[in-house]
Amino acid sequence: MATALPQQVAPVATHPPRGRRAAGWANALFVLPYLAMFVAMIVVPLAMGMWLSTTKGDLFGVEAHVGLANFTRLFGDPIFLETVGNTFYFVVLTVPALTLIGLGLALVLNTPARWATVLRTIFFASTVLSVTVVTLVWRLVFLPDGGLLAVISEALGKTPIAFLNDPELAMPAIAITTIWWCIGLPMVLFLAALQQVPRELYEAAALDNAGRWTTLRRITLPAISRTFVLVVIIEIILQFQLFGQPQLMTLGGPNNATRPIVLFIYETGWRQWELGYAAAAAQVLFAMILVAAMAQYVVASRKGAQ
Amino acid sequence: MRALVLLLALLLAACGPAEDDRTTLTIQRFFGACEAEYGAVTDIAAAQGECGIMTAIINRFEAENPDIRVVENIVFWPGYDQLTAQLASNDAPDLVTMHGSVISDYQARGLIEPMDADLAKIGIAPAGMTEAARAAITIDGRVWGLPIDTWAPLWHINMNLFRKAGLVRGGRPVLPSSPAELIAQAEQFEARTGKPYFVQGAANEYAGFTRNFYTFLMQQNGEPFADPRRADFTTPEAAEALRLFKDIYDRDLTTKNQDYSAAVAGFLKGDGGVFLVGTWMVGDFQAASEAEEGALSGGYAVVPYPQLYARDVTFADGHNWVMPADPDRTAAEHEAALRFLAFFSRHAFDWSRTGHLPVYKAMIDSPRWRALPHRDALAGLATSAAPLPKGVRRQFPIETIVGQESAAAISGAKPIPTALADMERRVNDILKNL
Repeated sequence: MATALPQQVAPVATHPPRGRRAAGWANALFVLPYLAMFVAMIVVPLAMGMWLSTTKGDLFGVEAHVGLANFTRLFGDPIFLETVGNTFYFVVLTVPALTLIGLGLALVLNTPARWATVLRTIFFASTVLSVTVVTLVWRLVFLPDGGLLAVISEALGKTPIAFLNDPELAMPAIAITTIWWCIGLPMVLFLAALQQVPRELYEAAALDNAGRWTTLRRITLPAISRTFVLVVIIEIILQFQLFGQPQLMTLGGPNNATRPIVLFIYETGWRQWELGYAAAAAQVLFAMILVAAMAQYVVASRKGAQ
Repeated sequence: MRALVLLLALLLAACGPAEDDRTTLTIQRFFGACEAEYGAVTDIAAAQGECGIMTAIINRFEAENPDIRVVENIVFWPGYDQLTAQLASNDAPDLVTMHGSVISDYQARGLIEPMDADLAKIGIAPAGMTEAARAAITIDGRVWGLPIDTWAPLWHINMNLFRKAGLVRGGRPVLPSSPAELIAQAEQFEARTGKPYFVQGAANEYAGFTRNFYTFLMQQNGEPFADPRRADFTTPEAAEALRLFKDIYDRDLTTKNQDYSAAVAGFLKGDGGVFLVGTWMVGDFQAASEAEEGALSGGYAVVPYPQLYARDVTFADGHNWVMPADPDRTAAEHEAALRFLAFFSRHAFDWSRTGHLPVYKAMIDSPRWRALPHRDALAGLATSAAPLPKGVRRQFPIETIVGQESAAAISGAKPIPTALADMERRVNDILKNL
């Protein structure tokens, strides 16, 4: 009997009825439209980009295949290396701030009160603005010649600071602009997560006389940890792609202090007509985003497993 | 029922566009959009400013040529990204505005048409053009466009402040003839007016730095592109050009931290004595000087950059019409484009009211042009304006790099030798990988 059972079970497990197999293929048809779009719009361009990064050419044709020469040149290009540093600096300035401020706002505004609804709308409103409008507004704040901060400084008897013309302050100024612009998304994601935490847990904590801080540490944060990871990964991916703000506020200056990788890619590909070189820089950026996002994901997954 | 269907069919047919058998001429240009003010204006003489005059010329051309339908694509300055994308996707306009410094990039890739025969056909002879205008369109002995103008950076002067500073003699501004004189006059100006001598758009803006650097390098007979495929910026002349402006910056003899718009507004409200900006602002500042109120009221002059070193020369560039290559362009469309170029050429005087230098020597010598405000003072540019050698490609990104490194040196972010070495390395990296 001990050997007979597997013989009886095995055919059922490895060979589903013909009807079920047909239904399985039919189900696959539902994902086919998306799959086709994904391949056409993501996979193919990605593969073309990788191929372009091994060529020398412009928009009008490939002149030669150069293997890894573009990558060798990139890693010996001080301007590119500076843009890598600038991009990491910007990510460090913005991602933790966006995550923590977004979480803080969500915790404060996670209440059905009318004032909270109004504030949620106000904080999210900046997200719908275009980068052109956002940078225009913040240029008017930072301008040392009649800008908002300059007017306040002069009223206090201080000399206005040229935020966007100072290599030390320009990137923090762009980071502030970006945090103001992008804070809506993390706040909304955290709000959605907070509203999924079972009320019973808070009631039990209240019965145990748990304080606010203990409730936050022991109930709220563990309950929204997956959203926390999601927000960090989304923000890493988004902020690595910094482009519009420095393009419109500083043109990458002063002294290259705010030139990010995407601006380098744009200038190299479109202004210098070096499409292969620009594509190589794009591959490096892709790898950086992938590694950073995956590292965050792996670390968070291990913590969750423990 | 049949009648109803017929009626619906007729209504649908009436909704469709009317048959238009005119030849379509697609003109792509920068100079801004001003349709609200000039969209229907055909009186070219009544138009003002680059945008107004260009729009009026195109409107008038269309009105006088009823067999041609002009499609005007107005691009955000300078529009080369858009043009490059259009050419890569076989969507070439018939005519496009292009800086002389950029023509060689498109010509080298076979993206624009030679126009020697076309210009001859409409009676335009390059021999009658100024040297700068002819150089802008000539590559390897062939002509690749029709020059619109030549522009150069100028010294726009607030004469009211100059008078206060004691820098007016015989009704003319007192100008320096050496770097030492420039510093002395700027300090005198600052001491007597309490304002900086120069107004400059120096924040988020690099073009001005490049123009100043090239001009004072050329004035010392510097040749940064003696070999068009290799830049040479690590020279005493280049260091001197940066040192001069760093000295001005360090002594607070210029406005700092103003972007272009703020600098224009600042000059109009009297922030300083000399605004370093191009020919395109002559008309606007002249209009401000004719107003009854304002810092420039009754007190505006404009002159080419003074000669501070060995040679009287100013870096210049210019706008041109070029015809992108398009195998699908019909003979009628080609003909329409030539008719527009001939029309534009006949209205070259109207365009010269913008402040830009005319391209025809005869016009510069004409009493009509000389009678325009300040043109006598600017006529010398016909011989002193000099672009970079035509063999230098990628001048547009190179100008940005030169401006970035110059700005870093002048503001003190980098020592001058380091900035010049970086400038040379970055520019040569581009030229090496053409």
